[in-house]
Amino acid sequence: MFMFIVRRIFFALVLLLAVSFFTYMLFAMLPSDPAALTCGKNCKPDVIAANRIRLGYDKSLMEQYWLFLKGIFAGRDYGTGAAAFSCSAPSLGYSFGQHECVTTLIAQTFPVTAYLSIGAFILWMLIGISTGAVAALHKGKWQDRAASIFTSIGVSLPTFYIGLLVLFSVVIWLRILPFPSYESPFDNFATFLRTMILPWLVLAVLSAASYTRLTRNGMLEAMNEDFVRLGVAKGLTTRLILRRYVMRQALVPIVTIAGLDFAGLLGGAIITESVFSLPGMGKMSIRAVVESDLPVLVGTTMVAAVFIVTANVLVDIAYGYLDPRVRVK
Amino acid sequence: MIQESVLSVQNLSVVFHTPDGDVAAVSNVSFELRSGETLGIVGESGSGKSVTASSLMRLNNSSTATTSGSILISGVDVLTAEESVVRRIRGSEIAMIFQDPLSALNPYYTVGKQIAEAYLVHHPQSSKAEARSITLEMLKKVGIPNPEKRIDEYPHQFSGGMRQRIVIAIALINNPKVLIADEPTTALDVTVQAQILDLMKELQKEFNMAIILITHDLGVIAEAAQEVLVMYGGRIVEQSTVDALFSEPTHPYAWGLLGAVNSLELSGRGSLATIPGSPPSLISLPSGCSFNPRCAYSSEICTTDVPALRVVGSQGSVTACHLPNDEIISLGRKAAAR
Amino acid sequence: MKQRRIIAAVSFALVASVVAAACGGGSGDGSEGGTPTKGGTIHILSNGEQIAHLDPQRNYTGDDLAFAGSTMHRTLTSYKYAAGDEGSGIVPDLATDLGTFNEDGTVWSFTLRDGITFEDGSEITCADVAYGVSRTWASDVITDGPTYASTYIDAGDYPGPYKATADQQAAFDKVVSCEGKTITFNLSVPVADFNYTTTLLAFSPVPKASDTGEKYDMAPVSSGPYKIESYEVGKSLVLVRNENWSKDSDPVRSAYPDSFVYEFGLDEAVMDERMIKDAGDDQFAVAAGIQPENLPTIFEDDAFKSRRIDYYDPFVTYTNLNVKNLSCVEVRKAIYLALDRDALRKAGGGPYTGDFADGFVKPALALDYKKSTLPEGLNEDGTANVEAAQAAMTAGEAACPEVVARAKAGLNFYRPATPVWDKAVAIWIDSLGKVGIKLKDEPVEASAYWPTVMNPETDYDIARGGWAPDWANASTVIPELFTTAGGFNLTRNADDPDYAEFQTKVDAAKKELDRTKQGEMWQELNQYVVDRLWALPGTFTKAQSIWGSKVGNAYQWAPFGAFNYGDLYVRS
Repeated sequence: MFMFIVRRIFFALVLLLAVSFFTYMLFAMLPSDPAALTCGKNCKPDVIAANRIRLGYDKSLMEQYWLFLKGIFAGRDYGTGAAAFSCSAPSLGYSFGQHECVTTLIAQTFPVTAYLSIGAFILWMLIGISTGAVAALHKGKWQDRAASIFTSIGVSLPTFYIGLLVLFSVVIWLRILPFPSYESPFDNFATFLRTMILPWLVLAVLSAASYTRLTRNGMLEAMNEDFVRLGVAKGLTTRLILRRYVMRQALVPIVTIAGLDFAGLLGGAIITESVFSLPGMGKMSIRAVVESDLPVLVGTTMVAAVFIVTANVLVDIAYGYLDPRVRVK
Repeated sequence: MIQESVLSVQNLSVVFHTPDGDVAAVSNVSFELRSGETLGIVGESGSGKSVTASSLMRLNNSSTATTSGSILISGVDVLTAEESVVRRIRGSEIAMIFQDPLSALNPYYTVGKQIAEAYLVHHPQSSKAEARSITLEMLKKVGIPNPEKRIDEYPHQFSGGMRQRIVIAIALINNPKVLIADEPTTALDVTVQAQILDLMKELQKEFNMAIILITHDLGVIAEAAQEVLVMYGGRIVEQSTVDALFSEPTHPYAWGLLGAVNSLELSGRGSLATIPGSPPSLISLPSGCSFNPRCAYSSEICTTDVPALRVVGSQGSVTACHLPNDEIISLGRKAAAR
Repeated sequence: MKQRRIIAAVSFALVASVVAAACGGGSGDGSEGGTPTKGGTIHILSNGEQIAHLDPQRNYTGDDLAFAGSTMHRTLTSYKYAAGDEGSGIVPDLATDLGTFNEDGTVWSFTLRDGITFEDGSEITCADVAYGVSRTWASDVITDGPTYASTYIDAGDYPGPYKATADQQAAFDKVVSCEGKTITFNLSVPVADFNYTTTLLAFSPVPKASDTGEKYDMAPVSSGPYKIESYEVGKSLVLVRNENWSKDSDPVRSAYPDSFVYEFGLDEAVMDERMIKDAGDDQFAVAAGIQPENLPTIFEDDAFKSRRIDYYDPFVTYTNLNVKNLSCVEVRKAIYLALDRDALRKAGGGPYTGDFADGFVKPALALDYKKSTLPEGLNEDGTANVEAAQAAMTAGEAACPEVVARAKAGLNFYRPATPVWDKAVAIWIDSLGKVGIKLKDEPVEASAYWPTVMNPETDYDIARGGWAPDWANASTVIPELFTTAGGFNLTRNADDPDYAEFQTKVDAAKKELDRTKQGEMWQELNQYVVDRLWALPGTFTKAQSIWGSKVGNAYQWAPFGAFNYGDLYVRS
């Protein structure tokens, strides 16, 4: 098992390196000239040329990539003379649009995304699994039908629509809650909760839908298994059977998919953050796209990739733990 | 010596309600089971034998099945008792082993845990340590080599035969009065089959247990059972001792079955003699005797009246057939001799 | 200022202009004066994620200049806080007067007042002003700001204060020199309105010891009535009172509110709803820009009368024609006459987006504006005049058959690749098609549009244009757009037979020290361009804003078309 983990980690690192390479190359090969995109008004050709040198875009792609990689381990210096400054390791670049090292920006915005993801994750797992279980246990009856309606709605309605609808109705028309205005939970826990409750619910309800279906189907499948019948034949109570036999099997794929979904969310729930004005990594990414702030884009893409790769490794390891039949000897 | 009756089934009928119609899976089945005895139930698939077996522990889904009659064990009517009472009986008074041992075991827990679980459910006062030592003993008894190591292994790490032994261990750990074995050897190799049957016989003697052995394989019946029920179309068509079944079978269906078996022994290379036709649809059973479309000896009355069970011959065999007794005896002897 | 992204309402630089009393302005109201009270917090709602540049030498967006100039960055001269045209007038800010100059306007001097301090209490010296100005030369670090200082002043090869050698610095110190409290600028060209130039925050003082170069944008030192308490990109900018600012030294700003909170990252639909609902803190809020679908709600309901405004922003949109390729005026006339400007305006959002322009100078520049005579046949209501256009084409066949042939074969129409322009280009193709002119649609990715058309290699025939004056003088419009030295001349008119005459007239106007006379010269020059149609006048654009019911004295500050942050107050 140990060697298995070591191998997976090693390949994960190789994968991350490849992701960093392709990300960097992809952005570097965009049709728009990155130097032209960074200057605001006086974008005359000579200004663009000066910008190109200033931002290092005149160097070869491989050299740029190498500087980027080096920066992750050793930090990176910018500018010359009295105006020089540096970004300490791990440096993911410098955003000239926001005048801040990308790593610092990510460190500032990531907690918001993390809080959003964690809260939503807990909620959607609770909602999804419980509704799915109810549906499975009352198959064919109204609970089952209600759950399937819930699933269809959740899966088909876009976040943007539901998010704005919820925001308008709860905050503007009904005035139940004040406008979302994010504050760190360590600064003002009450405002933090008031701000996060709506995006948590919106994200949770929309994501729960697919878990409702997964849980329901997983449980129904499990309930048809022979070993469940044997469990009944042993004289076990229904509760024990549900826990140790039915759910134990149904949860295996759910846990693994949830792990990956959660990791994806950590990369930034772009739409939810935008609608509810949460200063998270997702919002920062979308802004970087609009403003063509390439260092930020590369940085956030890398961070998101790290999460997904890590989640994949963890899920692989966890799967072996969860399903003994898959364990590597 | 007549043993005491441990299980008494009276007029058991099970009807499944499906979108396509009502399925009369079991009709009017009655039998007694005595301790220490092995009762075989034989028939094709769809004959109602498995449903009979699962009814004994009330394993059928009550929302789709209507079960009537009575099943008495240890003074409790399984069909009408409270769920908590039935749960107490399951796994302690009456236990079951299934056909496919891999899918019968929970893949997520060690075999030790699963065996101990069966024990702890009915002995909640016991400690985990106690349960574990009893589990170890049981593993030894069912013949698992190196039980101290293997107790913590998972079902997929065992071979088919070993797994079936584990299933048997689970079933017997609480010393049940009745063991239902639903096709216990069908999924196993021929050599392993014999071992499992021997194991069962051994344990039966040790625990003084009654066994209901469900199979479509007459060879297994010959090997392991004393009494046998032959089922067809959800009904009992013949009930006799094993000796009587093989020497003087009393139902045309049994004659056909024996013919199928004997031709295999006789010819070696020749084709199997089969009973022409196919099992009846349980939704629309033929009127009268359900075997009559395939019976070489059927007559007018067979299409209108369901034959009642009656004793025929000197060996106590019971049959459901309209043919007169002496014809049955002579045809039966001929079938047995083929 | 060059126009950015008129397309999406995302634009953060939707700036307002004066509610023009005289000519064709918007219908709009300012909130009544009342007696101003001190205290409270003004909120500014914004869709942007941050203020583009708070570094005074890099700040070049109308609304940002208005905001920073009202709160944190004083300069030598400033605009007056007054509604209407009066707001375009200049007053002394850090200087004691509007500057003294020599006879040809090449040497300008300003004397600093007493009692002017930075936020830490230290005195603002002449050296601080000179240092601030010198940062404009460090164009590798100090980017995106106006470059007038380095264009007007010749400091040799001075690379800015970060990299300068002692000799280079000395060369700079000679042309921007300090004597006691007096700063003197030696200009390499005569600039009659240099005291308008000094309203730009590029002339704001910066203490050298606190200069953090690239990062100064996030934490500039304040010389004004407010200083930064916190600045979180994507969240908010909070300004609180600068205790070390004294009203005695600053007759320009009123500084009534205790603090300003600039809220970033708000969804535009949400912003509109908040301002309409006017609840809680939103009663103390201002918001620039209203979504088109909400304009009828706000402007047709009298409930909003006292807190809405529909006004001219400083921008003019127009269409550049490649005069080198389209070298005869008849064809250019044909294009203009055939164009259905009414349809274009409808497709762009209707009358709320602006009025049809009659030139390149907007009425807000009162001294420089005169209603021009448009080409004969051009319809007032913006609809096409196809017969007149045909006639012009016929005339063109006689005068310049090669140009007509080129027009019939296909003209390269360069435009931004956005949904709004997709609709517009269809109207262009259809309009011009009626007189036989073919257009080849060349969409360009929006953020790359300006660099593309500003590249001399790009061979467009027609390109869009948009401009706003950098200060309230047409000297920042006509020369910029139509002379070869101009920073935004996309007409390629250098080879036009009248160009030499035009250049001479422009040079004369730039030198004219009599402001009124200068204004008349700009009026004439505007007409000159309109007569030759080097560019086609498009729209005097408008914008709409709304503010909360408890915001006092809100109006559109003419020079920037932004709110008058400097003398807003919170009504109790």
